[in-house]
Amino acid sequence: MGIIKTSKLIFDYIRRDEEGNVEGITRAVDEVSLDIRQGEFVAILGHNGSGKSTFAKHLNAILYPTEGTVLVDGNDTTDDEKIWEIRQCAGMVFQNPDNQIIGQVVEEDVGFGPENMGVPTKEIWERVEESLKAVGMWSYRKHSPNKLSGGQKQRVSIAGVIAMHPKCIVLDEPTAMLDPIGRKEVIRAVRALNDVEKITVILITHNMEEVVHADRIFVMEKGKVCMSGTPKEIFSQVEALQALRLDVPEVTLLAHELRRGGLDVPRGILTRKELVDALVQLSKGKADVE
Amino acid sequence: MIREITLGQYYQADSVVHRMDPRTKLILTFGYIVSLFLFTNVYVYVCAAVFLLVAVKACKVPFRFIVRGLRTVMVLLFVTVFFNMFLIKGEPLLTVYRFTVTREGLRMAVFTSSRLVMLILGSSIMTLTTTPNNLTDGLESVLKPLKLFKAPVHEMAMMMSIALRFIPILMEETDKIMKAQLARGADFESGNLIKKAKSLVPILVPLFISAFRRANDLGMAMEARCYRGGEGRTKMKPLKYAARDYAAYIYFVIYILLIVVAGNWIPKFW
Repeated sequence: MGIIKTSKLIFDYIRRDEEGNVEGITRAVDEVSLDIRQGEFVAILGHNGSGKSTFAKHLNAILYPTEGTVLVDGNDTTDDEKIWEIRQCAGMVFQNPDNQIIGQVVEEDVGFGPENMGVPTKEIWERVEESLKAVGMWSYRKHSPNKLSGGQKQRVSIAGVIAMHPKCIVLDEPTAMLDPIGRKEVIRAVRALNDVEKITVILITHNMEEVVHADRIFVMEKGKVCMSGTPKEIFSQVEALQALRLDVPEVTLLAHELRRGGLDVPRGILTRKELVDALVQLSKGKADVE
Repeated sequence: MIREITLGQYYQADSVVHRMDPRTKLILTFGYIVSLFLFTNVYVYVCAAVFLLVAVKACKVPFRFIVRGLRTVMVLLFVTVFFNMFLIKGEPLLTVYRFTVTREGLRMAVFTSSRLVMLILGSSIMTLTTTPNNLTDGLESVLKPLKLFKAPVHEMAMMMSIALRFIPILMEETDKIMKAQLARGADFESGNLIKKAKSLVPILVPLFISAFRRANDLGMAMEARCYRGGEGRTKMKPLKYAARDYAAYIYFVIYILLIVVAGNWIPKFW
């Protein structure tokens, strides 16, 4: 049994008019069944309005399913008594770094989660130190969050979540408001958490470059999971992704175009190195034939 | 337009008073203010002034900074002096046209104004030497007994510290909105007062919307990090009394004893 398991999860946004009558129902998440194992790096892709953020909010019991169930570490999110356990187990990082930092000093913000959980003072300090070091922000611990760059703020937010010692961390488009450098910083920190600390990572994004290192990818469209598999499997279907208005990484796209142009490049190339190797292989083969 | 905003009026320096526990400073300031109203006696006021001067010296804040606090109450001070001087009936000292200064009036004017001045200076020392953050912590701790009366002490403190955190962010946002509106031809400078006030509407509306959106996001982020009110919460930086705090309390007790003696047993000469 995985750390997070959803079965036939459905969520409806209900719009009401001023008298409270139902005006319309939008199905944001439609029968999503996922099973995520401990230690996995899972990416959920989808363009705006595909329901990926709504789905993410279910994993932290911020939203409750209209139908279906969400189990986090075996606890049902609709169980009010387990809600704090669930929120501690599945930490959440949001999109806007400014709107999720509570403390006025970096270290205080990281300590906010443990404070809420009632962790003893001494242990809070240990946790703050270890989490800030894990994201490489230890030297900024006395700074005001307002003076940090977007990527740094987002890393502080991540530290704030790992200080709660979650088994799993859900990142809801953590890089959407960042510049390319900030993006790299954040993704590097997230990957380190997954590799070193073995924390399960669920990364929600529409940026393809960030998901090439994931163990598994789910692509969402109109509330449904329409594609799933390893990055290689997903990125070998370039046309299908383009039909979903998702951008493929540049290298994959180049390989795809070369393939269409008649070169025998393998499908699902993800990194520059793979493409170079494939091309070298090809030219060698040609030389051999001649 | 809006750059470098200083919050509150904290003056950065390294002094005993700065390092003191915020609770000590809050309680002593409150006690000092109350003490100013206990007696109307010259000796008591001399004691109070000496107490204040020692605090001023100890806090290492330049005197002009502390006095700055008086500017805001200048008008009030003049009005008080004026009314006390001319309206209190008693033995006339000086008459100009229809206004008469009386002995009692003069005495009251001097007392009330010095009371007011010392009150402002005393509380300025507190706000100048305590960061807003610390002050909030101190307030939460000092007001804890009010919880018995169902006062939401923790919530108020949390609100204050969140407000402090978001002031610079909202300032920046105001700046951005202002520039955006200026770029579209908005005019904030010309016209009379009413017109100027009206021209602020296109700034305030987007600002409020964004503030609500931020509040919503922040609430969600706080809940996601297990925030559930003050119950069962531990502190990362718990407040602890140190030797300097006890020293301050002892100093204050000595001062109170002195003014009680001065106020009750030393005969008034004025």
